[in-house]
Formats: sequence, C-alpha cells, structure tokens
Amino acid sequence: MRFILLILLTIGIVIFLNPFLPYWVIMILIGISSSLFGLKGFVSFLGGGLGMGLAWLAQALYISAQTGSSLPNKIGELMGLGSGMTVAAVTAIIGLLLGGFSALSGSLLRNLSRKTPDNVYRG
Amino acid sequence: MKYIGFIVALAITVALAIAVSRPLGPVPPLAPLLDPNHGFWQNSFSEDETAEQELHLTGLSAPVTVVYDENLIPHLFAENEEDLYRAQGYVTAKHRLWQMEFQTMAASGRISEIVGPIALDLDRMTRRKGLAYGAELGMTFLKENDPETLRLAEAYAAGVNEYINQLTPGQIPVEYKILNYRPEPWTVHKSLLLLKYMSDMLVGDRDLEYSNLRKILGQEMLDKLFPEFPLENDPVIEASKIWDFEPIPVTRPDSVLYPNDLLVIEPLPQPEEGTGSNNWAVSGSKTKSGNPILANDPHLSLNLPSLWYTMQLTTPDHSVKGATLPGALGVISGFNQNIAWGVTNATKDARDWYKITFQDESRKMYRFGEDWRATDFRIEEIKIKGQEAFLDTVVYTHYGPVVYDRTFKSERQDVNFALKWTVHEGSNEQKTFILMNKARSYEDYNLALDSYVAPAQNFVFASKSGDIAMRIQGKFPLKWKEQGKFFMDGADPRFEWQGYIPNAHNPSTLNPERGFVSSANQHPVDPSYPYYVFDNSYEHYRNRRLNQQLTELTEITVDQMKALQFDDYYLHAKEALPVMISLLGVDFDADPIAKKYLDELKAWDFYADPNQKAPTLFYIWWEKTYSRIWEKWTKFGVPVVRPNNYQTVELMAKSPLDSIFNMENTPIQEGASDHVKAGFKEFLVAIQEWEEKEGDYSWANYKQTTIQHLVPQFTPFSVKNIYTGGGRGILNATSERSGASWRMVVELGDEINAFGIYPGGQSGNPGSKFYSNFIDKWANGEYLNFNLRTKEQQEGVLFQTILN
Repeated sequence: MRFILLILLTIGIVIFLNPFLPYWVIMILIGISSSLFGLKGFVSFLGGGLGMGLAWLAQALYISAQTGSSLPNKIGELMGLGSGMTVAAVTAIIGLLLGGFSALSGSLLRNLSRKTPDNVYRG
Repeated sequence: MKYIGFIVALAITVALAIAVSRPLGPVPPLAPLLDPNHGFWQNSFSEDETAEQELHLTGLSAPVTVVYDENLIPHLFAENEEDLYRAQGYVTAKHRLWQMEFQTMAASGRISEIVGPIALDLDRMTRRKGLAYGAELGMTFLKENDPETLRLAEAYAAGVNEYINQLTPGQIPVEYKILNYRPEPWTVHKSLLLLKYMSDMLVGDRDLEYSNLRKILGQEMLDKLFPEFPLENDPVIEASKIWDFEPIPVTRPDSVLYPNDLLVIEPLPQPEEGTGSNNWAVSGSKTKSGNPILANDPHLSLNLPSLWYTMQLTTPDHSVKGATLPGALGVISGFNQNIAWGVTNATKDARDWYKITFQDESRKMYRFGEDWRATDFRIEEIKIKGQEAFLDTVVYTHYGPVVYDRTFKSERQDVNFALKWTVHEGSNEQKTFILMNKARSYEDYNLALDSYVAPAQNFVFASKSGDIAMRIQGKFPLKWKEQGKFFMDGADPRFEWQGYIPNAHNPSTLNPERGFVSSANQHPVDPSYPYYVFDNSYEHYRNRRLNQQLTELTEITVDQMKALQFDDYYLHAKEALPVMISLLGVDFDADPIAKKYLDELKAWDFYADPNQKAPTLFYIWWEKTYSRIWEKWTKFGVPVVRPNNYQTVELMAKSPLDSIFNMENTPIQEGASDHVKAGFKEFLVAIQEWEEKEGDYSWANYKQTTIQHLVPQFTPFSVKNIYTGGGRGILNATSERSGASWRMVVELGDEINAFGIYPGGQSGNPGSKFYSNFIDKWANGEYLNFNLRTKEQQEGVLFQTILN
C-alpha cells in the first residue's frame, strides 16, 4: 500500500512541480518523500523510480500525441536512437534511474535515523 | 554498514544527477534535453498550439496588434515606426531566435564558442576578413550621422531582448538545448553585422587566381580565355542606354608593375557557385491588365531555418510586406501600397589585395611610397568551448586587414597581403531598407538607395503610378582598366583606389523603351559605360533566356511571370549539346548502349524538368568533358580559375583545333573532339554505375536538391531529395544545394496583387508544423497569397496577439 502511495506521490511531484522546477530539485523532493515512507531500500527504489519514470514517459507520450510533432523522431535519429519511441523509452529510463536512486538514498537515510538514534541530530 | 549503504546510494544518486547534467563528448546533457517539462519535448508544440492573446512588451507607446495568417505570417499593426520595429524584433525572435543569433555568431567569428576548436580556423578567417570591424565602423557611422536609424535599431534590439528575457527554459529553441548554450542579449551591432554577413555571402574575388594565371599564361592568353565582355553581352542596363554624365577621369599609371610571384596561398572562401538571383519588372504597356508587374527571386544556399522570414509591417503611414532577414529591420525584398522592389547581387570585384612590405619583423611599419606608415594591431580573442581562449593578432593597414601572414595559413614567410573591401567602410545599409519600406515614388526609391554601400545590388522597382526602373547600387571604387584584377603592390601609391564612382553615375534606367527592366547577375552594362567594370562571376545564360522571354511576351499575366521564375529552360545545354554531338562524330554509333543515351539526348527539348532524363545525361557528359579540357591546369599546382562554360563552349564551337586543347606529353595534337570523346567514355562509365546503384536517372533524382539545417550535422532537421527541376544557369536556379530562396511576384494595380513563397517555413523550430511546410509548394512552383491585410480582416486568421 505504502509502495503504491510512494509511486503516486512521486508521480504527483513530477506532474505538478517539475514544470516549475529542474529535475535535480525533483530528485531531492523524491528523496525526502521516500525518507518519510520508511519502505525498504529496493522497494523505495522501485517506488520512486517507477513514479518518476512513468510520469516522464506519460508526459512525453502525451506531448507527442497532443502535438503530433515529428521532433521526437528527429531527435531519435540525431542521437542515433532510431525512432521517437526509443527516445521516449530512454526518457523513461533516465527518469527511472534518477527517481529510483533518489528514493533509495532517502530510504537509507531514514534507516540511519531510525535504528541508530545516537548519530542523528534529532533523536 | 548502514552508513556505507547510504553513502554509496547517495554517491550514486549525486553522480548520476551530475552525469546527466553534463555533456558526454558530443552528446548533450541528457536530463535537461530529455526532461519532458523543459527539454526538447517542449519544442514539439507548434506556434498555434501555444498562441497567446496578449503579451507584454516594455517600451511600447501604444499596443501593437499581431495577426497571424494561416501560414504563420505575422502582420504587425503599430501606431508608429519605433513601436513597429520593437515589435518586429520581438516577433522575429519568437520564431527565429536561434538562427538570428547563430548567423551573427558566424559573422563575428564566434562559432568556436559553440562547437569547440573544430571551428577555430573558420573563426580566424572570418575575423581576419574584418566583418566585425566593418560592423563597428557602421556603428560609429550611425552614431555620428544617423541617430534616427540608430534609435529604431535600438528599439528592434530591445524587442529581441524582451523576448529573450521572457523565455522559459522549456521554450528555448531546441538547437540551444542540443548544443548546450544559451542566448545572449541582442545588440544594434549584431543587426549591422548581419548585413556585413550578407556581403560576405555574396561577394567574391579571384585576384589570387588571376594573378597566378597572368604569370602562367601571359596577358594575351588570359584576355582570350577571360574576355571582359562576352560576345553576346546582354547587360542589366539595356545596351542602348545613353550615358548622360561627364565621367570622372581615372588616370592609369604609365608603367604598372604587378607583384610577380606565383602564389600558393589558399584563396578566400568564395560564394557558392549558383548563388545569384533574378529580378525584373514589366511596364503596363506589356501586361494584360495594363499594370506593371515586378518579380524577384534571390538564389542563395538553401538552408533551414530559411534565411528569409516574411512579414507585413504596418503603421498609419505605410504598410509593407515581403521577405525580411531575421536580425535586420524592415522588409528587404517586398512591396507596399505604392511601390514594389527587389534585389539581385551586382558584384563588381569589390575586394582587392595589396602586397604589404613591412619594415621589419615587428610589423609596426610598412612601406607606402617614400615613407613608412604605422600599422594598427587588433587583438582578436576567440573563445573556445572547453579550452582556453585563442588570441589572434591581426595587422591593419590603411588598406584593410592583413588576412594571411606568418601566423595564418602561410606557406611562405613573406605572404603579407592586405584586403581592401567596401565592407570595411562606415556605411548605413539599414537606412536604405527603412526608407524603401515607406517609399511612394521613383524619387523616394532613389533617395533610399543613396545610402546603400554593400553588397552591391541590382535594385528593381515598379510603382502603381506606372514607373519601372533598375539601378545598380553600391559604393564602387573608381578604377583604371584592370586595376584590382590582380594582386597589387601596396608600397606603390599609384595602385590606390582613386576615389569612388558618384551615385549619380551608377548605371540605372527608368521606363526603357523595351518595356521591361531585368537583371540576372550578368554584366551590368555594355562597353560604352565610361568606367571600368570587371568581375569573374558574371552570368551568361539566365540573363539571355530572361530577356528573350520578356521581349517576346505580350499581354503578360501574373501567372506567366510565375512560370518564368520556374522556367527550366537549359540554355547552356541548348548551345553546348549540338557542338558536343557534332564533335563526337560517329565513333559510338555502333554501341547500342551509347546509342540509347545519344537518342535520348537528341530527342531532348532542353527543359531541365524534374522527370526528364536527358538533363542528367548532358550534365554528366559536359562535366567530364569540361574537366578534361582544363585538366592540365590542375598541374600548375597553384589556385587558378578555369574559363567559364560560355567561353569553353565558344572555343569548342569556333576553334576546335586551337592549341589550348592540346595536352602536353602526348604523341598527338589533341583538339576539342578528343576531349568530347574521352568525356563521353567517362560519361558512359559514370551513368551506368549510377543506373546500377540508384536506378532511375531522372533529373530530380540525380540532382538531389537538399535544404540543409544551418548545422550540417543536424541532418534530421534537413529536408533531402526534393523533387524539383532547374539548375545552375537556368532561370529556376535550383541546384543541389542552392536555388530560389524567395520568389515574389507583385502586380501593381489599384489593388496590389501579390504572391510569394520560399523553401522553408515561418517557424525556426524543427518540431513545429510550420518549420518546412512551404517546401512542397515551392518545389511545385506554387505560391502563397501575399496581399496586404487590414487589421480588421477576418478570413484566414490563425490567431492574433496584442503586444502591450
């Protein structure tokens, strides 16, 4: 359940805040959210990763469908990736990695504070 | 352990975040490029999908209405000129920001900043030619002489900058994202630079090559192969023109000693062959409606985003429409409610070279007559992406910059030549266009042209009141015969330009008897013109075809003028092919394959239409023959020019046994027919290879016209293999990489009836549906309606934006 919630929260952060904030602020926000959820490391990775990856994929596909632009195909050709679909997939994978590692870091940070209170500022 | 886990995860996260924010070799930073909220995905939107009803533009005295027609052509309605040009800057930047900045970066030798050390030599060359230096002088000229133009240019710059400041990260043009840099503020200097860039694009010189040829061939042979007027001269200003002025005397020194070295330096880059243009106007006496019709099609390298951007610019006093150059004020080729005008290149050896004799290694002084004169040192700082800046010292003499010296492209230590070029003089071309946009009469047109210096153009004109005119305008040096054809001695003051031809003596004509005026980059005048006229690049074919058609046609309609711009008649082939077939003789008649091609050629009507096969056959056969004839010149080992097609055909036809055709070190005495036959053999091999590899050899398929993005490596942003006819030396001058960059036909009746098209689209964004949407129509010879619009007009509106 918390896993699903983390995915949804991450998607929300990307959809509503990413238009105004660069990707690295989004990564910090995902890390913070993940640290609040207290999920295990790998589960957090998946939650944050799927959240950001899916959100980026959805945004990319939505723009493509909405505009019908040939630009994704052109960029695909320019980057040697083939079609625009591949570019969308690469976009999703980058989102997955950025979101996933951010969430993993957040979750491991929380682990530190929970089990070894001595070393944390707020005990 | 937990710490380690966290630290490792955090390290990976941070490393990842940094990795995707930086370029990896040629790959741009991935995250900013791919992030759907800021990256290239945001450039997928076309302009109508992001249309805004209102936008803020600081500094306007009253709101400006911008009405876009269905082709995304903006029509600006402003209350005064300052508002108009402010809005022009803003709207142009909105659609063409990357291009306008990139072009001025190229003109100022700053490409290395964007792409790294690969462009360093190009940048050094650009700076050593002194384009930016010329623009600086232009700026000083404006400050001292024309505060009004300066004020308008500043408004334009402020408009561009307002747009740059409003840009959100997502809206930044995609080229910036890929090349990973950001726009910088626009300045008046950049607008001036753009006009210098046009000079650079259009002006060449062959002084180096002619100097070499003169040394190798001798003056007599040179004159024979490169006559200063062709046999069938069909000049811009009709040959019957009587020159009604007293020419300024030019004195030729009695003994001229040219520097007599063989020069192996690399020549300056020349304008691409095939850059030229057509323009003409027919008077009401020759048209069906009784109204004058004006046509213009400038031929340039075909690029995307297109060099041209079309607009209507309206104030309560005037309403002008046509092609603008993104970065420059006003319309460059267009019409208003009263007049229409157009431009073609009118080059006249505007660049000359002087050999500089320095006093010593320090290069602080150089000889001029009996004295030594002091040089100036201009330090060019060339920033390079990913490297330290390169400092280049360029020595300036009173002639101009020393382009080649011991630090740049020198194969010999003593190569020191200064470049003298009208582009290095303070001038005010911008004023010409601002005035022309508002001109109402022939007198206004002439007044506007008076401040025009370079690049020299044939300005065609027609007015609603029935006048047609042509004026060749530029600042032309007064030269004695052959002055500047060869490299000159800068130490000898007698080689100096002796002044300039006054504007009133520039060739011009008003309402000539033949009922039309026309130009196609040919010789400007016939030999009766009292000043020395010379250039290597004059056209010999388009002009004759054009004038022959205009002479024959009567009851002319707009559609006929459109058809003439799209005319594929291959006059060079018409003149060369019969000569070649006769010189070929019967040697190949027994070969069935050869016969098939020859039959196709013999049945040809000489139109280079896209579906025709014979143009390909002729083109290859001619190229092979021509190369063979002049092949021995490549053995000179120094840069030379070869005689042009026209002169070559004439030699082949009239003196096929001339010794010029003889190859050395062969047992026989070759004539033209030997080259034609050998060329035919090579042609047979080439065409069969082509057929095996590519199949169809119809003209469009062979020619493969391509419109290339300004960054040639961005091939997906280019449009390749366009199905269209024409070629070099043909009125429809569309070759592989150059052609009609803008076509306009205007009928000046009570209601102006105007048409235009260019191979591109209004948007500079490769993701927009307006990026290349005109290309198919252009390739078919179709046009868009370019009639003037009123603010209230409802039909065909895409959207409307109010700037306030």
